[in-house]
Amino acid sequence: MKEFKFKKGLLASLLVTTSLLAACGNGGEEEGSSAEGDKVTVDIFQFKVEFKEQFEDVVAMYEKENPDVNIEITTVGGGEDYGAALRSKFASGNEPAIFNIGGPQDVADWKDSLAPLSDTAAAEAALDGTLEGVTVDSEVLGLPYNQEGYGFIYNIRLFEEAGIDPASITDFASLEEAVKTLDSKKEELEIESVFALPGKEKWVTGLHLSNTFIAPEFNHNVLDAYDSKTIDFTYSDAFKKILDLQNEYSKQPTVSLDYSQQVEELFSLERVAMIQQGNWAYGSIDGIDPEFAENGIGMLPIPVEGYEEGGLPVGVPMYWAVNKNLDEEVVEASKEFMDWLYTSEAGKTAVVEDFKFIPAYEGYDTSKISDPLSKAVYDASEAGETIGWVFMGYPTGWGEDELGSNIQKYLSEEATWEEVVDSAKAAWESSRQ
Amino acid sequence: MRTKDFAYWLFLAPVLIALTLVVIVPMLLGVYYSFTSWNGITTGEFVGFQNYIDLFKDERFLASLWFTTKFSVISVILINFIGLSLALIVTSRIKTSNLLRTTFFMPNLIGGLILGFIWQFIFIKVFASVGEMVGMESLQVWLSTTETGFWGLVILMSWQMAGYIMVIYIAYLQGLPKELLEASEIDGASSFQRFRYIVFPLVAPAFTVSMFLTLSNTFKLYDQNLSLTGGGPYNSTEMVAMEIFNTAFVQNTFAYAQAKAIIFFVIVAIVALFQVYWNKRREVEM
Repeated sequence: MKEFKFKKGLLASLLVTTSLLAACGNGGEEEGSSAEGDKVTVDIFQFKVEFKEQFEDVVAMYEKENPDVNIEITTVGGGEDYGAALRSKFASGNEPAIFNIGGPQDVADWKDSLAPLSDTAAAEAALDGTLEGVTVDSEVLGLPYNQEGYGFIYNIRLFEEAGIDPASITDFASLEEAVKTLDSKKEELEIESVFALPGKEKWVTGLHLSNTFIAPEFNHNVLDAYDSKTIDFTYSDAFKKILDLQNEYSKQPTVSLDYSQQVEELFSLERVAMIQQGNWAYGSIDGIDPEFAENGIGMLPIPVEGYEEGGLPVGVPMYWAVNKNLDEEVVEASKEFMDWLYTSEAGKTAVVEDFKFIPAYEGYDTSKISDPLSKAVYDASEAGETIGWVFMGYPTGWGEDELGSNIQKYLSEEATWEEVVDSAKAAWESSRQ
Repeated sequence: MRTKDFAYWLFLAPVLIALTLVVIVPMLLGVYYSFTSWNGITTGEFVGFQNYIDLFKDERFLASLWFTTKFSVISVILINFIGLSLALIVTSRIKTSNLLRTTFFMPNLIGGLILGFIWQFIFIKVFASVGEMVGMESLQVWLSTTETGFWGLVILMSWQMAGYIMVIYIAYLQGLPKELLEASEIDGASSFQRFRYIVFPLVAPAFTVSMFLTLSNTFKLYDQNLSLTGGGPYNSTEMVAMEIFNTAFVQNTFAYAQAKAIIFFVIVAIVALFQVYWNKRREVEM
């Protein structure tokens, strides 16, 4: 009996071990099967959750047109999670063919894997200035997703009722004037405050707001920021004024106010008149009140006192990159897909109408851009009244972790503005040594 | 003695293989990486003890370590106090004790992230509304200052873990020999004396277990921290686990973060071992 039990145990343990080993073996097999047949498999590893479904539909369309290409999409959302996921994806040996990079720092980190894309039609069609961040030695290494822009999104109805003409707001003085008027009529307008400043979202203050005042210092060029050993904060006074204005007339406490409170709860329900956000907020506003999103909102520039006071910060949030370490045919298929997506008629229609992107390429029918925020961004970009995006050229983590959290300190009155600026300068220098 | 024969190792093999693959090998790799300038993509060159030297001068790391220590000490005391109190309540002869047990244990069944968001809602919305109604300014700023963030975390953690610790105490309380309690009663001990001199020493083993669990859990806290305060305002409520995560995945200095993680591991190990050793000495054998 004892003997029998022992054998049973032995069998069980053997089973466990073999199944463990079998599990390992299986993984390898699956990988192998993807190369079966004549099909080329292109793995796309991308970060934009918002357009996952539309993107999958468009890819399905492409696969139908090109039966010899099989495209697999993996979407991992959220900025920092994507970076970590991409690293582990590469570390696992299962490298994607197409992935996303953000700017000069990513280009430097991933340069051993980036295929040159200068010869693609998409790179040819990309708008002026959109390729700066991903060009190394005149070789293009990434293709822009789209353009995005931000500013002060305002409530048209409230402005009208307060008797303010948005077109008259062209500089800091007139903005301050308008804010004061709105504030004095708070009761009649039934709003809680003029602004909602989301101090908790360090990207709003540390990346976006700061970019408005730092970009002019670096000629709106992300590479200048990336290469710079120091930062002067030339427009730090203008920066402080806008921040103070937003903070003073915002719903308190600002330090714990987050994106969803700002956009959905306060702005979409018309409890504040103005917020600093970008065209991506359209989706959130649309989710709460489609009518309001369609007709009730507009975008104003963030005035940089002493510099351009009428420019909207417009830039490319993310780039596509092709992995050059894979087979030649996979690389070629990846490039062809990118070209198709951004330069073919079907692709162009999808980009504007399905993805609702503001195109970063020439030759688009821009009358199809439907939402008012994207339109404002596109118009500004057409007219050249823009401020560049340089925050991708900040030292890693500097914008949010250093400047953003110091701005929180300033908002909680734990630090003076000089301290914020000085420590941000010091941190910039020490990470660029 | 046939314990060390072939079959012995065969039975152990699955566990040993699994443990080696998912704990020991990564741990050793981690130690190796902490001596390099690894950025998550390429290993980089060997930098010796530079990462370790840097981290003792890293104010943010030290601040988070201090914050975590404060949080742990207060939480461990509170959780054990509340847990034992709850256990005493539900083992006394009250009618609803079964219902109460379930209720007290319930928070532990909800995941940390979700709990964090629920409490964030309570602290920010409910507290603010109540504050507005009664006109108390201090209720409207919850989670926007370091102190309220700290106490918010303590409240959340105590609320979540007290029920779990309660279960451990209940098990020991129910195992108490009745004759000892009866004898003390006959000898004229007051209920406080009974608790102090009979119950307390006899549930000491429960302290060892509970303290170990609460201590290691509060030290390694991440998800509640992330969803409740996210480290804010100005990273002042950032605990060590989160600081290490940010060092690795936000600043992309993976090797440096690895060095921090190893120091953190050493600290937690020392504290936990010391605590178990100390508690063990106080246990009473029956």
